[in-house]
Amino acid sequence: MTNRDSTLDWFMLVLRRDLTLSFRRSATYITPLIFFLIVVTFFPLALGPSQSLLSSMAAGIIWISALLSSLLAVEGIFSEDFRDGTLDQYFVSSEPVFVLIFAKVLCHWLVCGAPIILASVLSSVFLYLPSGVLFALIISLLLGTLFMSLLGALGAALSLGRSAILSAIIVLPFSIPTLLMGTAIMSAAINQQDYSGFISIMGAMLAIGIPGLCLLTVEAILLNYE
Amino acid sequence: MNRVWSRIKNWLIAMGSPPHFYRWATSSLPWLAGLAVIVFCAGLIWGLGFSPTDYKQGDVYRIIYIHVPSAILAESIYIFMAISGFISMVWRAKIAGMLINSAAPLGAGFTLIALLTGSIWGKTTWGTWWVWDARLTSTLIMFFLYAAIIGLHSSIENKTKGDRAVSILAVLGVVIVPIIKKSVDWWQTLHQPSTFTLTSSPSMSPDMYLPLLVCVLGFYCLFIFMLTNGLRAEIISRERDKSWVKKQFFKY
Repeated sequence: MTNRDSTLDWFMLVLRRDLTLSFRRSATYITPLIFFLIVVTFFPLALGPSQSLLSSMAAGIIWISALLSSLLAVEGIFSEDFRDGTLDQYFVSSEPVFVLIFAKVLCHWLVCGAPIILASVLSSVFLYLPSGVLFALIISLLLGTLFMSLLGALGAALSLGRSAILSAIIVLPFSIPTLLMGTAIMSAAINQQDYSGFISIMGAMLAIGIPGLCLLTVEAILLNYE
Repeated sequence: MNRVWSRIKNWLIAMGSPPHFYRWATSSLPWLAGLAVIVFCAGLIWGLGFSPTDYKQGDVYRIIYIHVPSAILAESIYIFMAISGFISMVWRAKIAGMLINSAAPLGAGFTLIALLTGSIWGKTTWGTWWVWDARLTSTLIMFFLYAAIIGLHSSIENKTKGDRAVSILAVLGVVIVPIIKKSVDWWQTLHQPSTFTLTSSPSMSPDMYLPLLVCVLGFYCLFIFMLTNGLRAEIISRERDKSWVKKQFFKY
């Protein structure tokens, strides 16, 4: 890379590298998907197969499962790069590190979030989600899983080399606004009300969260270099 | 004006050094303890013993003199922690990091007291231990946030590193706590109208309100006393290898 390369080129480089690495190993995108489907299946098993009950709870169930699986998936996002020294290279490069971190998170979201959203369409059939709200489900999950990936990356950075459950305890209380907004979108869509306001709020949270959380994540990773 | 400001600044900078803070804390601790005991007891005795009985709820309402101060403290301690977190992140002041560490268990304790007394009060007046009211829910979430901070700090062996990790969480928390409160409010109004409100009672009369105010002050004094005391222990345990601690305790 020459000096004239802009930050965007570096961003794309990190994104491409991570995407290639992820697709070489099927576990990275299959595992969260299977986890999501298993959690969704557990709800009818625990609550009973009553169609009306499941139909009224479908949106909440899908959202909780998506939150948990995208959180668990992001848990190991930095561990390998930290061990083999790739992260060190980010810090010694002259580029702003939080942009490169965002590339990692974005790649992770593309690899894990997208299959989960596809699976949520499948599970909306399993759980008798009322018809006509599929669009709301997809758009709310698109925004929500990205926010979860960002939060999860911060949790992963703070608990680097420690247990996964610690990362979950750190991140889950902070993910409550996302969960509430997402389910608000869903219940507004089911009642055939306008939900664009909630989508705007989620978008605003993302707009603040992308730079803010990436900066905090960089600060948290730096802790491991002392 | 300028001189006053620079004196305050110098005092704050001096306070950031552990030995200096330790000496200040040791000399002022009896005063803090005395103040806390006097105001705390005065508020509680006035509130529990001498304020008039509520015409609707009877004597049960007196739990307010514990419930409201601890709920207020639960929130202000969080804001306090976020400010110290910001200071420790930006200026790397040692004391600021230790402050979070000693304030977090206190905040969690006050949140727990607020939740428990609230639920006892709710059982007698509403007939149920718990409702998913917006305010109750956000207090519960507050408790989880404290638990996350305590859990993260205790999992990191290096205390200084733990301070910085926790200050990241505290700063993130102060951004997200208002969002949580707002979204829980919306969540509540969306799903069902709130059955019970804590604010619907008519404004309190002064002879009920004044003891409450004294109680809040008393709880604050108690918190400051406990925080200073806890911080002293924290300083000693962290700086036990430093020469000033050895001089202080072992005279060599």
